[in-house]
Amino acid sequence: MIRLVRAELTKLFTTKVWLGLLLGAVVMVAAFAVFFTAFAGDPESGIPEVGTAAYDDLALSTAANANILFLILGIIGMTQEYRHRTATPTFLTTPKRGQVVIAKLIAYALAGAAFALVVVVVNYVVVAIHAGALGSAPALNADNVETMASSWLALIIYSVIGVGLGALLRNQVGAIVGGLVYLFVVEPIIRSVPATAGAYKWMPGGALEALTATFEGPELLQAWQGGLLLLGYGLVAALLGTLLAVRRDVV
Amino acid sequence: MRLDGPDPPDDEESAISSATTAATGPVRVEVSGLTKSFGAVRAVSDLGFTVEPGQVTGFLGPNGAGKTTTLRMVLGLINPDAGTATFNGTPYTALPAPTRTVGAVLETAFHPARSARNHLRVYCRAAGLPLSRADEVLVQVGLSDAAGRRAGGYSLGMRQRLALATALLGDPAVLVLDEPANGLDPEGIQWLRGFLRHLAHDQGRTVLVSSHLLSEVEQTVDRVVIVGAGRLVREGSMADLRAGAAQGGTVLVRSPEADRLAELLRAEGAEVALDGGGSLTVTGRSPADIGHRAFTAGVELHELRAHTSGLEEIYFQLTAGQEQFAAPAAGATSQGGTR
Repeated sequence: MIRLVRAELTKLFTTKVWLGLLLGAVVMVAAFAVFFTAFAGDPESGIPEVGTAAYDDLALSTAANANILFLILGIIGMTQEYRHRTATPTFLTTPKRGQVVIAKLIAYALAGAAFALVVVVVNYVVVAIHAGALGSAPALNADNVETMASSWLALIIYSVIGVGLGALLRNQVGAIVGGLVYLFVVEPIIRSVPATAGAYKWMPGGALEALTATFEGPELLQAWQGGLLLLGYGLVAALLGTLLAVRRDVV
Repeated sequence: MRLDGPDPPDDEESAISSATTAATGPVRVEVSGLTKSFGAVRAVSDLGFTVEPGQVTGFLGPNGAGKTTTLRMVLGLINPDAGTATFNGTPYTALPAPTRTVGAVLETAFHPARSARNHLRVYCRAAGLPLSRADEVLVQVGLSDAAGRRAGGYSLGMRQRLALATALLGDPAVLVLDEPANGLDPEGIQWLRGFLRHLAHDQGRTVLVSSHLLSEVEQTVDRVVIVGAGRLVREGSMADLRAGAAQGGTVLVRSPEADRLAELLRAEGAEVALDGGGSLTVTGRSPADIGHRAFTAGVELHELRAHTSGLEEIYFQLTAGQEQFAAPAAGATSQGGTR
Protein backbone atom coordinates (compact mmCIF):
# COMPACT_ATOMS: atom_id res chain seq x y z
CA MET A 1 0.00 0.00 0.00
CA ILE A 2 2.85 2.40 0.83
CA ARG A 3 4.23 2.02 -2.69
CA LEU A 4 0.79 2.72 -4.19
CA VAL A 5 0.45 5.86 -2.06
CA ARG A 6 3.90 6.98 -3.19
CA ALA A 7 2.89 6.30 -6.80
CA GLU A 8 -0.16 8.55 -6.33
CA LEU A 9 1.97 11.29 -4.78
CA THR A 10 4.40 10.97 -7.71
CA LYS A 11 1.45 11.40 -10.09
CA LEU A 12 0.29 14.48 -8.18
CA PHE A 13 3.65 16.22 -8.05
CA THR A 14 4.73 15.49 -11.63
CA THR A 15 2.10 17.79 -13.09
CA LYS A 16 1.36 21.36 -12.07
CA VAL A 17 -2.29 20.98 -11.12
CA TRP A 18 -1.47 21.02 -7.40
CA LEU A 19 0.45 24.27 -7.72
CA GLY A 20 -2.43 26.04 -9.45
CA LEU A 21 -4.97 24.85 -6.91
CA LEU A 22 -2.76 25.70 -3.94
CA LEU A 23 -2.02 29.20 -5.26
CA GLY A 24 -5.73 29.66 -5.97
CA ALA A 25 -6.62 28.59 -2.42
CA VAL A 26 -3.99 30.90 -0.91
CA VAL A 27 -5.15 33.92 -2.93
CA MET A 28 -8.80 33.18 -2.16
CA VAL A 29 -8.25 32.83 1.57
CA ALA A 30 -6.04 35.92 1.76
CA ALA A 31 -8.68 37.94 -0.10
CA PHE A 32 -11.44 36.73 2.23
CA ALA A 33 -9.34 37.57 5.29
CA VAL A 34 -8.58 41.07 4.01
CA PHE A 35 -12.23 41.60 3.10
CA PHE A 36 -13.53 40.51 6.50
CA THR A 37 -10.95 42.59 8.31
CA ALA A 38 -11.60 45.69 6.22
CA PHE A 39 -15.29 45.59 7.04
CA ALA A 40 -14.88 44.49 10.64
CA GLY A 41 -16.84 46.61 13.05
CA ASP A 42 -18.91 48.15 10.25
CA PRO A 43 -22.46 47.88 11.63
CA GLU A 44 -23.95 47.35 8.15
CA SER A 45 -21.68 44.39 7.40
CA GLY A 46 -22.52 42.61 10.62
CA ILE A 47 -18.86 41.63 11.02
CA PRO A 48 -17.65 41.94 14.62
CA GLU A 49 -15.02 44.45 15.59
CA VAL A 50 -11.30 43.70 15.43
CA GLY A 51 -10.01 42.60 18.81
CA THR A 52 -13.12 40.66 19.83
CA ALA A 53 -13.21 36.88 20.14
CA ALA A 54 -16.04 36.78 17.60
CA TYR A 55 -13.87 38.56 15.04
CA ASP A 56 -10.96 36.18 15.68
CA ASP A 57 -13.23 33.20 15.11
CA LEU A 58 -14.60 34.56 11.88
CA ALA A 59 -11.34 35.86 10.41
CA LEU A 60 -9.36 32.73 11.28
CA SER A 61 -11.92 30.35 9.80
CA THR A 62 -11.87 31.87 6.31
CA ALA A 63 -9.47 29.09 5.34
CA ALA A 64 -12.45 26.73 5.25
CA ASN A 65 -13.78 28.71 2.28
CA ALA A 66 -11.11 27.06 0.14
CA ASN A 67 -12.98 23.78 0.55
CA ILE A 68 -14.19 23.87 -3.04
CA LEU A 69 -10.60 23.94 -4.34
CA PHE A 70 -9.66 20.98 -2.16
CA LEU A 71 -12.72 19.17 -3.43
CA ILE A 72 -11.54 19.83 -7.00
CA LEU A 73 -8.03 18.63 -6.09
CA GLY A 74 -9.45 15.27 -5.03
CA ILE A 75 -11.81 15.06 -8.00
CA ILE A 76 -8.99 15.70 -10.47
CA GLY A 77 -6.79 13.19 -8.67
CA MET A 78 -9.29 10.43 -9.30
CA THR A 79 -10.90 11.42 -12.60
CA GLN A 80 -7.67 12.23 -14.47
CA GLU A 81 -7.17 8.47 -14.74
CA TYR A 82 -10.25 8.32 -16.94
CA ARG A 83 -9.80 11.66 -18.65
CA HIS A 84 -6.28 10.85 -19.86
CA ARG A 85 -6.99 7.11 -20.10
CA THR A 86 -4.18 6.30 -17.68
CA ALA A 87 -6.71 4.07 -15.92
CA THR A 88 -5.44 1.37 -18.29
CA PRO A 89 -1.79 1.31 -17.13
CA THR A 90 -2.87 2.04 -13.55
CA PHE A 91 -5.23 -0.94 -13.35
CA LEU A 92 -2.79 -3.14 -15.28
CA THR A 93 -0.19 -2.40 -12.60
CA THR A 94 -2.72 -2.81 -9.76
CA PRO A 95 -5.53 -5.11 -10.95
CA LYS A 96 -7.20 -4.97 -7.54
CA ARG A 97 -8.77 -1.62 -8.20
CA GLY A 98 -10.05 -0.99 -4.69
CA GLN A 99 -6.42 -0.66 -3.61
CA VAL A 100 -5.93 2.17 -6.11
CA VAL A 101 -8.89 4.05 -4.62
CA ILE A 102 -7.63 3.50 -1.07
CA ALA A 103 -4.15 4.68 -2.06
CA LYS A 104 -5.65 7.81 -3.58
CA LEU A 105 -7.70 8.51 -0.45
CA ILE A 106 -4.56 8.27 1.69
CA ALA A 107 -2.36 10.20 -0.76
CA TYR A 108 -4.85 13.05 -1.10
CA ALA A 109 -5.41 13.18 2.66
CA LEU A 110 -1.62 13.54 3.08
CA ALA A 111 -1.21 16.10 0.30
CA GLY A 112 -4.40 17.84 1.48
CA ALA A 113 -2.94 18.06 5.01
CA ALA A 114 0.21 19.77 3.73
CA PHE A 115 -1.66 22.15 1.42
CA ALA A 116 -4.27 22.94 4.07
CA LEU A 117 -1.50 23.79 6.52
CA VAL A 118 -0.16 26.34 4.03
CA VAL A 119 -3.62 27.81 3.57
CA VAL A 120 -4.29 28.04 7.33
CA VAL A 121 -0.89 29.64 7.98
CA VAL A 122 -1.46 32.19 5.20
CA ASN A 123 -4.88 32.88 6.67
CA TYR A 124 -3.37 33.58 10.10
CA VAL A 125 -0.49 35.68 8.78
CA VAL A 126 -2.76 37.88 6.65
CA VAL A 127 -5.21 38.36 9.51
CA ALA A 128 -2.40 39.03 12.00
CA ILE A 129 -0.82 41.68 9.76
CA HIS A 130 -4.07 43.37 8.73
CA ALA A 131 -5.79 43.25 12.12
CA GLY A 132 -2.47 44.09 13.80
CA ALA A 133 -2.30 47.24 11.70
CA LEU A 134 -5.80 48.08 12.89
CA GLY A 135 -4.75 47.68 16.50
CA SER A 136 -5.17 44.08 17.67
CA ALA A 137 -3.76 40.92 16.06
CA PRO A 138 -5.51 37.69 17.16
CA ALA A 139 -3.50 35.83 19.76
CA LEU A 140 -2.46 32.21 19.24
CA ASN A 141 -4.59 31.09 22.17
CA ALA A 142 -6.39 27.77 22.50
CA ASP A 143 -9.62 29.06 21.01
CA ASN A 144 -8.00 30.46 17.92
CA VAL A 145 -5.80 27.44 17.38
CA GLU A 146 -8.88 25.25 17.62
CA THR A 147 -10.65 27.39 15.01
CA MET A 148 -7.72 27.02 12.64
CA ALA A 149 -7.38 23.30 13.32
CA SER A 150 -11.05 22.84 12.42
CA SER A 151 -10.51 24.60 9.09
CA TRP A 152 -7.43 22.50 8.49
CA LEU A 153 -9.35 19.28 9.13
CA ALA A 154 -12.25 20.41 6.97
CA LEU A 155 -9.97 21.05 4.01
CA ILE A 156 -8.33 17.63 4.37
CA ILE A 157 -11.72 15.94 4.51
CA TYR A 158 -12.88 17.81 1.41
CA SER A 159 -9.94 16.49 -0.62
CA VAL A 160 -10.93 12.99 0.53
CA ILE A 161 -14.55 13.69 -0.50
CA GLY A 162 -13.23 14.82 -3.91
CA VAL A 163 -11.53 11.46 -4.45
CA GLY A 164 -14.73 9.66 -3.45
CA LEU A 165 -16.91 11.80 -5.70
CA GLY A 166 -14.48 11.31 -8.59
CA ALA A 167 -14.55 7.55 -8.09
CA LEU A 168 -18.33 7.61 -8.17
CA LEU A 169 -18.76 9.85 -11.21
CA ARG A 170 -15.54 9.14 -13.20
CA ASN A 171 -16.27 12.13 -15.46
CA GLN A 172 -14.02 15.05 -14.47
CA VAL A 173 -16.11 17.94 -15.75
CA GLY A 174 -19.31 16.31 -14.52
CA ALA A 175 -17.90 15.76 -11.04
CA ILE A 176 -16.57 19.32 -10.71
CA VAL A 177 -19.73 20.95 -12.06
CA GLY A 178 -21.87 18.63 -9.95
CA GLY A 179 -19.83 19.49 -6.85
CA LEU A 180 -20.11 23.23 -7.47
CA VAL A 181 -23.83 23.11 -8.18
CA TYR A 182 -24.41 21.05 -5.06
CA LEU A 183 -22.35 23.30 -2.79
CA PHE A 184 -23.53 26.64 -4.15
CA VAL A 185 -27.09 25.95 -5.32
CA VAL A 186 -28.63 22.83 -3.82
CA GLU A 187 -27.44 23.13 -0.24
CA PRO A 188 -28.17 26.86 0.19
CA ILE A 189 -31.73 26.14 -0.95
CA ILE A 190 -32.11 23.24 1.48
CA ARG A 191 -30.61 25.39 4.21
CA SER A 192 -33.00 28.29 3.67
CA VAL A 193 -36.29 26.49 3.02
CA PRO A 194 -37.92 25.92 6.42
CA ALA A 195 -39.40 22.55 5.45
CA THR A 196 -35.98 21.09 4.67
CA ALA A 197 -33.80 23.13 7.01
CA GLY A 198 -34.02 20.42 9.65
CA ALA A 199 -32.26 17.98 7.36
CA TYR A 200 -29.47 20.43 6.61
CA LYS A 201 -27.42 19.53 9.66
CA TRP A 202 -27.05 16.00 8.28
CA MET A 203 -25.80 17.16 4.87
CA PRO A 204 -22.14 17.78 3.95
CA GLY A 205 -22.59 21.57 4.12
CA GLY A 206 -24.24 21.35 7.52
CA ALA A 207 -21.49 19.05 8.73
CA LEU A 208 -18.87 21.49 7.46
CA GLU A 209 -20.62 24.34 9.24
CA ALA A 210 -20.80 22.33 12.42
CA LEU A 211 -17.06 21.71 12.17
CA THR A 212 -15.98 25.24 11.34
CA ALA A 213 -18.81 27.75 11.51
CA THR A 214 -18.90 30.72 13.75
CA PHE A 215 -21.96 32.45 12.37
CA GLU A 216 -25.29 31.79 13.95
CA GLY A 217 -27.23 29.51 11.67
CA PRO A 218 -29.65 26.65 11.69
CA GLU A 219 -29.39 23.92 14.28
CA LEU A 220 -26.10 22.05 13.82
CA LEU A 221 -24.29 19.00 15.13
CA GLN A 222 -21.33 19.21 17.50
CA ALA A 223 -18.06 20.05 15.78
CA TRP A 224 -16.61 16.57 16.17
CA GLN A 225 -19.84 14.99 14.95
CA GLY A 226 -19.80 17.26 11.92
CA GLY A 227 -16.21 16.29 11.13
CA LEU A 228 -16.97 12.59 11.39
CA LEU A 229 -20.11 12.93 9.27
CA LEU A 230 -18.15 14.83 6.62
CA LEU A 231 -15.43 12.19 6.54
CA GLY A 232 -18.16 9.54 6.36
CA TYR A 233 -19.59 11.16 3.23
CA GLY A 234 -16.18 11.01 1.56
CA LEU A 235 -15.56 7.39 2.48
CA VAL A 236 -19.07 6.27 1.52
CA ALA A 237 -18.68 7.97 -1.87
CA ALA A 238 -15.34 6.21 -2.33
CA LEU A 239 -16.81 2.85 -1.34
CA LEU A 240 -19.83 3.23 -3.62
CA GLY A 241 -17.55 4.50 -6.37
CA THR A 242 -15.31 1.46 -6.04
CA LEU A 243 -18.24 -0.95 -6.05
CA LEU A 244 -20.34 0.71 -8.73
CA ALA A 245 -18.04 2.67 -11.03
CA VAL A 246 -14.35 1.81 -10.71
CA ARG A 247 -14.95 -1.91 -11.17
CA ARG A 248 -16.66 -1.34 -14.49
CA ASP A 249 -15.02 -2.25 -17.79
CA VAL A 250 -12.15 -0.05 -18.90
CA VAL A 251 -12.69 -0.13 -22.66
CA MET B 1 16.85 5.08 -33.48
CA ARG B 2 18.05 1.61 -32.67
CA LEU B 3 17.52 -0.87 -35.43
CA ASP B 4 18.87 -4.05 -33.96
CA GLY B 5 17.05 -5.86 -31.18
CA PRO B 6 18.59 -4.11 -28.22
CA ASP B 7 19.96 -6.38 -25.55
CA PRO B 8 19.69 -5.12 -22.04
CA PRO B 9 23.12 -5.17 -20.41
CA ASP B 10 23.91 -8.59 -18.94
CA ASP B 11 24.23 -7.56 -15.30
CA GLU B 12 20.90 -5.77 -15.51
CA GLU B 13 19.31 -8.79 -17.15
CA SER B 14 20.36 -11.07 -14.36
CA ALA B 15 19.42 -8.56 -11.68
CA ILE B 16 15.83 -8.29 -12.86
CA SER B 17 15.35 -11.64 -14.53
CA SER B 18 16.50 -13.75 -11.66
CA ALA B 19 13.68 -12.25 -9.66
CA THR B 20 11.12 -12.31 -12.43
CA THR B 21 11.45 -14.15 -15.71
CA ALA B 22 13.52 -16.87 -14.12
CA ALA B 23 11.10 -17.15 -11.25
CA THR B 24 8.02 -17.24 -13.43
CA GLY B 25 9.80 -19.15 -16.21
CA PRO B 26 8.10 -19.52 -19.57
CA VAL B 27 4.46 -18.53 -19.35
CA ARG B 28 1.71 -20.02 -21.48
CA VAL B 29 -1.46 -18.04 -22.06
CA GLU B 30 -4.69 -19.99 -22.28
CA VAL B 31 -7.96 -18.46 -23.36
CA SER B 32 -11.10 -20.51 -23.10
CA GLY B 33 -14.74 -19.80 -23.84
CA LEU B 34 -14.40 -16.01 -23.63
CA THR B 35 -17.70 -14.29 -24.31
CA LYS B 36 -18.67 -10.64 -24.04
CA SER B 37 -21.63 -8.58 -25.15
CA PHE B 38 -21.97 -4.81 -25.07
CA GLY B 39 -25.71 -4.28 -24.91
CA ALA B 40 -27.23 -6.19 -27.81
CA VAL B 41 -23.93 -6.48 -29.65
CA ARG B 42 -22.03 -9.72 -29.18
CA ALA B 43 -18.39 -8.60 -29.37
CA VAL B 44 -16.71 -11.91 -28.53
CA SER B 45 -18.27 -15.39 -28.72
CA ASP B 46 -16.90 -18.49 -27.03
CA LEU B 47 -13.35 -17.64 -28.06
CA GLY B 48 -10.54 -20.00 -27.14
CA PHE B 49 -6.87 -20.21 -28.13
CA THR B 50 -3.43 -20.62 -26.62
CA VAL B 51 -0.29 -18.52 -26.85
CA GLU B 52 3.00 -20.38 -26.47
CA PRO B 53 6.29 -19.14 -25.01
CA GLY B 54 9.25 -18.65 -27.32
CA GLN B 55 7.02 -17.68 -30.23
CA VAL B 56 5.47 -14.56 -31.66
CA THR B 57 1.74 -15.15 -32.08
CA GLY B 58 -0.25 -12.89 -34.37
CA PHE B 59 -3.80 -12.08 -33.26
CA LEU B 60 -5.50 -11.16 -36.50
CA GLY B 61 -8.90 -10.03 -37.63
CA PRO B 62 -10.64 -7.11 -39.29
CA ASN B 63 -11.49 -3.98 -37.36
CA GLY B 64 -14.40 -4.70 -35.04
CA ALA B 65 -13.68 -8.43 -34.88
CA GLY B 66 -13.26 -8.24 -31.09
CA LYS B 67 -9.46 -8.22 -30.83
CA THR B 68 -9.14 -5.31 -28.43
CA THR B 69 -12.08 -6.51 -26.33
CA THR B 70 -10.44 -9.94 -26.10
CA LEU B 71 -7.05 -8.54 -25.08
CA ARG B 72 -8.67 -6.33 -22.44
CA MET B 73 -10.52 -9.34 -21.04
CA VAL B 74 -7.27 -11.32 -20.98
CA LEU B 75 -5.75 -8.46 -18.95
CA GLY B 76 -8.62 -8.09 -16.49
CA LEU B 77 -9.69 -4.65 -17.71
CA ILE B 78 -13.00 -5.90 -19.09
CA ASN B 79 -15.04 -8.46 -17.18
CA PRO B 80 -16.07 -11.29 -19.51
CA ASP B 81 -19.66 -12.54 -19.49
CA ALA B 82 -18.23 -16.06 -19.59
CA GLY B 83 -14.93 -17.82 -20.05
CA THR B 84 -11.42 -17.52 -18.65
CA ALA B 85 -7.98 -16.32 -19.61
CA THR B 86 -5.02 -17.53 -17.58
CA PHE B 87 -1.25 -17.18 -17.38
CA ASN B 88 0.17 -20.57 -16.43
CA GLY B 89 -3.21 -21.22 -14.88
CA THR B 90 -3.64 -17.92 -13.00
CA PRO B 91 -6.01 -15.16 -14.11
CA TYR B 92 -4.39 -11.74 -14.57
CA THR B 93 -6.16 -10.16 -11.61
CA ALA B 94 -4.84 -12.91 -9.31
CA LEU B 95 -1.19 -12.66 -10.41
CA PRO B 96 1.03 -11.83 -7.43
CA ALA B 97 3.20 -9.46 -9.49
CA PRO B 98 1.26 -8.69 -12.67
CA THR B 99 3.73 -6.26 -14.24
CA ARG B 100 6.57 -8.75 -13.81
CA THR B 101 4.57 -11.46 -15.52
CA VAL B 102 2.77 -9.57 -18.27
CA GLY B 103 3.52 -6.32 -20.06
CA ALA B 104 0.82 -4.81 -22.25
CA VAL B 105 0.77 -2.14 -24.94
CA LEU B 106 -2.93 -1.38 -25.35
CA GLU B 107 -3.15 2.28 -26.16
CA THR B 108 -0.97 5.31 -25.88
CA ALA B 109 -2.38 6.68 -22.62
CA PHE B 110 -0.31 9.31 -20.85
CA HIS B 111 -0.99 12.44 -18.88
CA PRO B 112 0.04 15.03 -21.49
CA ALA B 113 1.79 17.27 -18.96
CA ARG B 114 3.93 14.52 -17.44
CA SER B 115 7.37 13.72 -18.82
CA ALA B 116 8.10 10.26 -20.16
CA ARG B 117 10.55 9.55 -17.33
CA ASN B 118 8.07 10.64 -14.66
CA HIS B 119 5.30 8.64 -16.34
CA LEU B 120 7.46 5.53 -16.06
CA ARG B 121 8.50 6.32 -12.49
CA VAL B 122 4.85 6.39 -11.41
CA TYR B 123 4.50 2.76 -12.50
CA CYS B 124 7.88 1.81 -11.05
CA ARG B 125 6.63 3.04 -7.69
CA ALA B 126 3.25 1.32 -8.02
CA ALA B 127 4.85 -1.99 -9.01
CA GLY B 128 7.63 -1.78 -6.45
CA LEU B 129 10.37 -1.64 -9.08
CA PRO B 130 13.55 0.44 -8.70
CA LEU B 131 13.16 3.91 -10.26
CA SER B 132 16.24 3.20 -12.38
CA ARG B 133 14.09 0.87 -14.51
CA ALA B 134 12.50 3.97 -16.05
CA ASP B 135 15.74 5.06 -17.69
CA GLU B 136 16.67 1.50 -18.64
CA VAL B 137 13.48 0.88 -20.64
CA LEU B 138 13.80 4.32 -22.25
CA VAL B 139 17.18 3.20 -23.56
CA GLN B 140 15.65 -0.09 -24.73
CA VAL B 141 13.05 1.65 -26.89
CA GLY B 142 15.37 4.43 -28.02
CA LEU B 143 13.65 7.32 -26.22
CA SER B 144 16.44 8.41 -23.87
CA ASP B 145 16.92 11.75 -25.57
CA ALA B 146 13.27 12.68 -25.11
CA ALA B 147 12.94 11.33 -21.54
CA GLY B 148 12.45 14.74 -19.94
CA ARG B 149 9.94 16.04 -22.46
CA ARG B 150 6.19 16.20 -21.87
CA ALA B 151 4.50 13.13 -23.32
CA GLY B 152 1.81 15.42 -24.73
CA GLY B 153 4.34 16.76 -27.23
CA TYR B 154 5.32 13.33 -28.50
CA SER B 155 4.70 12.11 -32.04
CA LEU B 156 2.51 9.07 -32.55
CA GLY B 157 5.56 6.88 -33.06
CA MET B 158 7.18 8.15 -29.86
CA ARG B 159 3.97 7.47 -27.96
CA GLN B 160 4.01 3.88 -29.19
CA ARG B 161 7.59 3.55 -27.99
CA LEU B 162 6.70 5.01 -24.60
CA ALA B 163 3.76 2.61 -24.31
CA LEU B 164 6.15 -0.23 -25.12
CA ALA B 165 8.61 1.07 -22.54
CA THR B 166 5.80 1.04 -19.93
CA ALA B 167 5.07 -2.58 -20.79
CA LEU B 168 8.74 -3.53 -20.43
CA LEU B 169 9.20 -1.99 -16.95
CA GLY B 170 8.67 -5.26 -15.08
CA ASP B 171 10.80 -7.30 -17.51
CA PRO B 172 7.72 -9.48 -18.13
CA ALA B 173 7.64 -13.06 -19.39
CA VAL B 174 4.62 -12.25 -21.56
CA LEU B 175 4.19 -9.27 -23.84
CA VAL B 176 0.76 -8.36 -25.24
CA LEU B 177 0.61 -5.67 -27.92
CA ASP B 178 -2.55 -4.25 -29.50
CA GLU B 179 -1.87 -2.84 -32.97
CA PRO B 180 1.61 -1.66 -31.98
CA ALA B 181 2.58 -0.68 -35.51
CA ASN B 182 0.00 2.13 -35.64
CA GLY B 183 1.83 5.40 -36.02
CA LEU B 184 5.28 3.88 -36.43
CA ASP B 185 7.25 4.88 -39.50
CA PRO B 186 8.64 2.09 -41.72
CA GLU B 187 11.95 2.22 -39.88
CA GLY B 188 10.12 1.92 -36.57
CA ILE B 189 8.08 -1.05 -37.80
CA GLN B 190 11.26 -2.77 -38.92
CA TRP B 191 12.78 -2.14 -35.51
CA LEU B 192 9.68 -3.44 -33.74
CA ARG B 193 9.70 -6.66 -35.77
CA GLY B 194 13.29 -7.36 -34.84
CA PHE B 195 12.63 -6.46 -31.23
CA LEU B 196 9.63 -8.78 -30.85
CA ARG B 197 11.42 -11.69 -32.53
CA HIS B 198 14.38 -11.10 -30.25
CA LEU B 199 12.16 -11.18 -27.16
CA ALA B 200 10.45 -14.40 -28.23
CA HIS B 201 13.13 -16.38 -30.04
CA ASP B 202 16.27 -15.37 -28.13
CA GLN B 203 14.79 -14.77 -24.68
CA GLY B 204 11.97 -17.32 -24.70
CA ARG B 205 9.23 -14.84 -23.86
CA THR B 206 5.63 -15.17 -24.93
CA VAL B 207 4.60 -12.49 -27.43
CA LEU B 208 1.04 -11.86 -28.60
CA VAL B 209 0.63 -9.08 -31.14
CA SER B 210 -2.64 -8.01 -32.73
CA SER B 211 -3.14 -6.46 -36.13
CA HIS B 212 -5.89 -6.05 -38.67
CA LEU B 213 -3.34 -6.47 -41.48
CA LEU B 214 -1.78 -9.84 -42.10
CA SER B 215 0.88 -8.23 -44.29
CA GLU B 216 1.99 -6.11 -41.34
CA VAL B 217 2.91 -9.07 -39.14
CA GLU B 218 3.40 -11.88 -41.65
CA GLN B 219 7.19 -11.61 -41.48
CA THR B 220 7.20 -11.47 -37.68
CA VAL B 221 4.83 -14.10 -36.39
CA ASP B 222 5.31 -17.83 -35.96
CA ARG B 223 1.69 -18.62 -35.20
CA VAL B 224 -1.60 -16.98 -36.01
CA VAL B 225 -4.93 -16.75 -34.23
CA ILE B 226 -7.47 -15.32 -36.65
CA VAL B 227 -10.82 -14.01 -35.42
CA GLY B 228 -13.85 -12.72 -37.26
CA ALA B 229 -17.04 -11.39 -35.70
CA GLY B 230 -15.75 -12.33 -32.26
CA ARG B 231 -15.20 -16.00 -33.10
CA LEU B 232 -12.12 -18.06 -33.74
CA VAL B 233 -11.69 -18.56 -37.46
CA ARG B 234 -8.30 -20.21 -37.56
CA GLU B 235 -5.49 -21.06 -35.19
CA GLY B 236 -2.24 -22.58 -36.37
CA SER B 237 1.32 -22.05 -37.47
CA MET B 238 2.26 -19.47 -40.06
CA ALA B 239 3.88 -22.28 -42.06
CA ASP B 240 0.53 -24.10 -42.32
CA LEU B 241 -1.19 -20.93 -43.38
CA ARG B 242 1.48 -20.37 -46.04
CA ALA B 243 1.17 -23.92 -47.32
CA GLY B 244 -2.55 -23.46 -47.73
CA ALA B 245 -2.01 -20.11 -49.33
CA ALA B 246 0.31 -21.35 -52.07
CA GLN B 247 -2.78 -22.76 -53.78
CA GLY B 248 -4.71 -19.53 -53.65
CA GLY B 249 -2.35 -16.93 -55.17
CA THR B 250 -3.00 -15.33 -58.53
CA VAL B 251 -0.46 -14.28 -61.15
CA LEU B 252 -0.98 -11.69 -63.88
CA VAL B 253 0.57 -12.54 -67.27
CA ARG B 254 0.69 -10.50 -70.48
CA SER B 255 1.79 -12.13 -73.69
CA PRO B 256 1.22 -11.65 -77.43
CA GLU B 257 0.40 -15.38 -77.45
CA ALA B 258 -2.00 -15.28 -74.53
CA ASP B 259 -4.38 -17.86 -75.98
CA ARG B 260 -1.63 -20.43 -76.59
CA LEU B 261 -0.18 -19.94 -73.10
CA ALA B 262 -3.64 -20.29 -71.56
CA GLU B 263 -4.12 -23.59 -73.35
CA LEU B 264 -0.72 -24.84 -72.23
CA LEU B 265 -1.39 -23.99 -68.59
CA ARG B 266 -4.92 -25.35 -68.62
CA ALA B 267 -3.59 -28.61 -70.04
CA GLU B 268 -1.57 -28.85 -66.81
CA GLY B 269 -4.57 -28.24 -64.62
CA ALA B 270 -4.06 -24.56 -63.81
CA GLU B 271 -7.04 -22.28 -63.52
CA VAL B 272 -6.69 -19.56 -66.17
CA ALA B 273 -8.89 -16.59 -66.92
CA LEU B 274 -8.40 -14.72 -70.19
CA ASP B 275 -8.82 -11.04 -69.54
CA GLY B 276 -8.59 -9.91 -73.18
CA GLY B 277 -5.96 -7.60 -74.63
CA GLY B 278 -3.33 -10.30 -74.33
CA SER B 279 -3.47 -10.66 -70.55
CA LEU B 280 -4.51 -13.55 -68.35
CA THR B 281 -4.88 -14.31 -64.66
CA VAL B 282 -3.54 -17.64 -63.44
CA THR B 283 -4.55 -19.11 -60.09
CA GLY B 284 -2.57 -21.74 -58.21
CA ARG B 285 0.77 -21.39 -59.99
CA SER B 286 3.80 -19.41 -58.94
CA PRO B 287 5.27 -16.80 -61.32
CA ALA B 288 8.38 -19.02 -61.53
CA ASP B 289 6.31 -22.02 -62.70
CA ILE B 290 4.55 -19.97 -65.35
CA GLY B 291 7.73 -18.30 -66.55
CA HIS B 292 9.45 -21.64 -66.88
CA ARG B 293 6.54 -23.17 -68.81
CA ALA B 294 6.41 -20.20 -71.18
CA PHE B 295 10.17 -20.34 -71.74
CA THR B 296 10.23 -24.04 -72.58
CA ALA B 297 7.28 -23.57 -74.97
CA GLY B 298 8.90 -20.55 -76.55
CA VAL B 299 6.05 -18.19 -75.61
CA GLU B 300 7.07 -14.53 -75.41
CA LEU B 301 6.10 -12.78 -72.15
CA HIS B 302 5.63 -9.03 -71.68
CA GLU B 303 4.66 -9.07 -68.06
CA LEU B 304 4.64 -11.61 -65.28
CA ARG B 305 3.84 -10.67 -61.71
CA ALA B 306 2.20 -12.04 -58.60
CA HIS B 307 -1.10 -10.27 -58.17
CA THR B 308 -2.10 -11.50 -54.74
CA SER B 309 0.21 -13.38 -52.46
CA GLY B 310 -2.36 -16.03 -51.70
CA LEU B 311 -1.79 -15.45 -48.02
CA GLU B 312 -3.79 -12.25 -48.11
CA GLU B 313 -6.38 -13.95 -50.26
CA ILE B 314 -6.81 -16.64 -47.62
CA TYR B 315 -6.93 -14.07 -44.84
CA PHE B 316 -9.53 -12.12 -46.74
CA GLN B 317 -11.63 -15.22 -47.37
CA LEU B 318 -11.38 -16.26 -43.73
CA THR B 319 -12.52 -12.91 -42.46
CA ALA B 320 -14.67 -11.67 -45.34
CA GLY B 321 -17.99 -10.13 -44.47
CA GLN B 322 -17.15 -9.95 -40.78
CA GLU B 323 -15.92 -6.41 -40.53
CA GLN B 324 -18.25 -4.51 -38.29
CA PHE B 325 -19.98 -5.88 -35.22
CA ALA B 326 -21.69 -8.70 -37.04
CA ALA B 327 -24.83 -9.91 -35.29
CA PRO B 328 -24.53 -13.19 -33.35
CA ALA B 329 -26.41 -15.08 -36.07
CA ALA B 330 -24.03 -13.90 -38.78
CA GLY B 331 -21.07 -15.29 -36.85
CA ALA B 332 -22.51 -18.80 -36.92
CA THR B 333 -22.23 -19.01 -40.72
CA SER B 334 -18.64 -17.88 -40.80
CA GLN B 335 -16.93 -20.75 -39.01
CA GLY B 336 -13.84 -21.52 -40.99
CA GLY B 337 -11.50 -24.40 -40.30
CA THR B 338 -10.77 -24.25 -36.61
CA ARG B 339 -7.66 -25.67 -35.09
